[in-house]
Amino acid sequence: MSALLETNELTVSYGGLHANSNVNIKAEKGKLTGLIGPNGAGKTTFIDAITGFTNVSSGRAEFNGKDLAGVAPDERAKSGLVRTFQSLELFEDLTVWDNLIVMAEETKWWSFLADIVKPNRVLGIEEQAEWALNLLGLGEHRDKLTLDLSHGQRKLVSVARALAAKPSMLLLDEPAAGLDTVESQQLGKHLREILKQDISIFLIDHDMGLVLSVCDYIYVLDFGKIIAEGTPEEVRKNPEVKRAYLGETAGEMQAEGGAAAARSLSGEG
Amino acid sequence: MKEGIAYAIMGLGSGGFYALMAIGIVIAYKGSGVINFAHGAIAMYVAFQFSYLRSEGTFRFPWLDPIPTSVLNLPVTLSLSNGEPINFWIAVLLSLFTALILGAAIHYLVFKPLRNAAPLGKVIGAIGVMTYLLGVGSKHFGSNQPQPEGVLFPDKLLKNFLGLGLGVSAEALALAGVSVIVGAVIWFIYKYSRVGLATRAAAGNEKGAVLLGYSPDRLALFNWLLAAFLAGLVGILTGTVTGALGTGKFTGLIVPALGGALIGSMSSIPLAVLGGLLIGSLQTFVGTYVSGLSWFPAWLYSGARDSIPLVVIVALLFLRGKSLPIRGNIEEKRLPLAPYPKRIGKYVAIFVPLGFLLSAGFPGDFLFAGLNGRWGMALTTSLIAGMFGLSFVLLSGYVGQISLVQISLAGIAAFLTARLMSHYGPSDSNPFAVGGLHLPWPVAMVAGVAVATVVGLILAVPALRIRGVQLTVVTIAASISLYSFYFDNPKLTSLQGGSSYIIQPPTFFGIKFGSTGSQGLTDNPKFALFCLIVLAGLSVTLANLRRGSSGRRFLAVRANERAAASAGVNVAKTKFLAFGIASAMAGVAGVAGAFQAGSTSAPMWDYGVGLSALAFCYLGGITSINGAILGGMIAGGGMVATFGNFHSPGLYSYIPIFGGMGMILTAIIHPAGQASIFQPLMRHFGSWLLTARGKEWGVVLRRLAPYLIGGGIWGAIGINPWRTDTYNRTWMIILGILIVLFVRNIVNQVKAVKAAKALPDTNSLQEVTA
Repeated sequence: MSALLETNELTVSYGGLHANSNVNIKAEKGKLTGLIGPNGAGKTTFIDAITGFTNVSSGRAEFNGKDLAGVAPDERAKSGLVRTFQSLELFEDLTVWDNLIVMAEETKWWSFLADIVKPNRVLGIEEQAEWALNLLGLGEHRDKLTLDLSHGQRKLVSVARALAAKPSMLLLDEPAAGLDTVESQQLGKHLREILKQDISIFLIDHDMGLVLSVCDYIYVLDFGKIIAEGTPEEVRKNPEVKRAYLGETAGEMQAEGGAAAARSLSGEG
Repeated sequence: MKEGIAYAIMGLGSGGFYALMAIGIVIAYKGSGVINFAHGAIAMYVAFQFSYLRSEGTFRFPWLDPIPTSVLNLPVTLSLSNGEPINFWIAVLLSLFTALILGAAIHYLVFKPLRNAAPLGKVIGAIGVMTYLLGVGSKHFGSNQPQPEGVLFPDKLLKNFLGLGLGVSAEALALAGVSVIVGAVIWFIYKYSRVGLATRAAAGNEKGAVLLGYSPDRLALFNWLLAAFLAGLVGILTGTVTGALGTGKFTGLIVPALGGALIGSMSSIPLAVLGGLLIGSLQTFVGTYVSGLSWFPAWLYSGARDSIPLVVIVALLFLRGKSLPIRGNIEEKRLPLAPYPKRIGKYVAIFVPLGFLLSAGFPGDFLFAGLNGRWGMALTTSLIAGMFGLSFVLLSGYVGQISLVQISLAGIAAFLTARLMSHYGPSDSNPFAVGGLHLPWPVAMVAGVAVATVVGLILAVPALRIRGVQLTVVTIAASISLYSFYFDNPKLTSLQGGSSYIIQPPTFFGIKFGSTGSQGLTDNPKFALFCLIVLAGLSVTLANLRRGSSGRRFLAVRANERAAASAGVNVAKTKFLAFGIASAMAGVAGVAGAFQAGSTSAPMWDYGVGLSALAFCYLGGITSINGAILGGMIAGGGMVATFGNFHSPGLYSYIPIFGGMGMILTAIIHPAGQASIFQPLMRHFGSWLLTARGKEWGVVLRRLAPYLIGGGIWGAIGINPWRTDTYNRTWMIILGILIVLFVRNIVNQVKAVKAAKALPDTNSLQEVTA
């Protein structure tokens, strides 16, 4: 099986600084792939490069077997490669529902003419948006403006918005930042639920507990380079990861916590 | 070629003017992140102040006394020497003092309160100051175009300068020299002084500067004073270099100066000086020398000079992309919400027949004695201004793009429609008439609007690369350039000597619905009906766009372009669509305006007219359809102004001043505009009217009685009992009652908001318990 998302020697440089250098990553279809790394490791740069928000200096990225070079960000989103932002970036003047619909609806060049005649057309995308809304428990906030929601709820709206497009690959940029342990575990369960819908996930976070407990395969990024990869078990045992990222003792504690979280999840699921 | 070099050198004079202005613009931008469109207006005011001090010894404060009274009057004009010219140095000091007053006022009254406003709010603030100063300027100095006094080496011509065969005035070279010296001094201040360093630090990161112990307010004040001082200096020093003084002309010279400031990326003073000199030099070189060459097409002659800044600005922004330094403000507010229009169909069903009934009933002396004729004009003016406002609502309110070129697009549609409809060429009765294709009006109108749309789309191309304030710069440059390139260009329009196209009254199946009624006044109810239907059609179109997929996309792009792209929205296409539809709407409004006037000529489509229209639309509420319509009602020549002028003659000349002040106040206090205040009131009143019976009437009348009686008495004594001008007493009573009820409504709304805030916030409670 070939990978859904694959990068080959991907490098992003700002001036002399290599934010990403020669990054090789494969995200398989139907799997939850994780990317971890300390602050400033280049995680968000990597997502920006894949989704077209920053220029790639060299190397290539492929999605669904197609080269992404020169493809505009909105076209990448339309082709099923959808992301969230660490800083949410919601459409604050629109209701929660409209936030989802913007993402889901297909428009043609003549759509504006159709709008003038009949603005409330049935778009055939309501089902998917409804599913995303209910999955994340946002049903009751459907008609609220996003600026009236709490931070945690807005975080969920940003995930729901990305899901509304029924993407084939969902890129999550630090979805657990700002959430507490319970909410974070809740999110982990949602992610498993999403995978069942034939949506592959690429997760970036530095919440070790979450990443180690839910991911199928993990890459570790430090100073823009991949320093390790493997299953959660392998990554947890990798001495280099411990040294570079976790720190000797603290790392063991974190890893233990992750294993505990994983046990509790599998026990419940 | 020798001659060409001589012209390029002559152009350094106006180049020096632009350079000095550009320095001030850069300083204001560094100090408070505002692109100061009013910089030229400050220079204009000071230039007139100086000129009047030197010719008749009068000093005029930059304000007005709106209602002359018998007891307490604001001092406006001080006569310092019984009509004698005043000493040169005293005049210079007083003029620079005026500039400093303006600088301080602009800081304290406008941009300090707007410090954390959305970018649109700041632009509106700057345009508000510009509109205000233009208004006060033309009120104080009228349409006089005095010849200014040369200050630097006046009347000295350097014959055969550098052996180039032509004379160059010493004044021009001196002005260029001064700009270089001033630029060097200011550059030095910013480079090495403490306050300069602090300003640069704050421009990079305001929060950081606060942490280091600098007050951004004090820094902003310093920079505004310095910028205004420089504007004053330009006003005095420019002398005869820019020709006769004129309020509008001088203010419009902001555009080439902005070009210079943009060459310096709004941050480098040496580059801004260089840019200003370059643009001035290029203007004279192209406008006088190149355009005089035999191969130069005659139809390009008129616009060549004024198009240079536009070309330079567009080329620069295009090449550079989005490299203007963006200030890191402490907090930035968003644009006000763009409400979801719900009851548009109901409104159309009520207001179109109502408006028609009113317009048909009003020619008589019933109720509005003395207003007949003027009424029809006022109503249709308001309706047309409302149509025009809708194009701002779409573009600025929904998509967040501030365009000042809409007035030119309206003009293009009007000119082309007039030309295509025209039948007769020059005759004895009108030797200047221009013949045309004699097409029926719907065909001509569609063609005119289509061309305006195409032009609007072409101008939108730069908008795809640049955004926000820079777009405003490009569009104001485009508006000024289109004026001299097309509207005021006889080679393209065939209009000789400032004449106008005559438009035959349009007909619909034989019914004439031109604006002129049976009494020869602009009061034909059928024309009012035409305007009502067109406005209703445009409103429904816009409302449906807002409610459909296009509206969601517009607002998504407005909220966050990055997020919109990540949601699969093609940002460029979405903007393009908005520009296209807004251009078409402006075009329709332009044609309606030309129908109303029965003719059309260049001055109808001046950039100042567009600014005033934007001002009133913003005042009404730029993010809603109701706002545009309300903006039309309060626009110059519209219903409110006509009533106002009727009960208080002379009010017309105050319109730009009130408009400018209203814009600034709205931007500071209530960016959503007045419509969001009136709308709940109207909805409440409307539903009450439909349901109320005799008993309810009694209760409400009893509750409102004190306000009605009090307001009535207040109005009967003339609102201000000490006023000395003439006014209409009946209207004052109604006005008094309306003001009292309006204030009561606002007080109630504020109370309601406070009561809602006092309730515990459910969201925050949830967060605590979670």
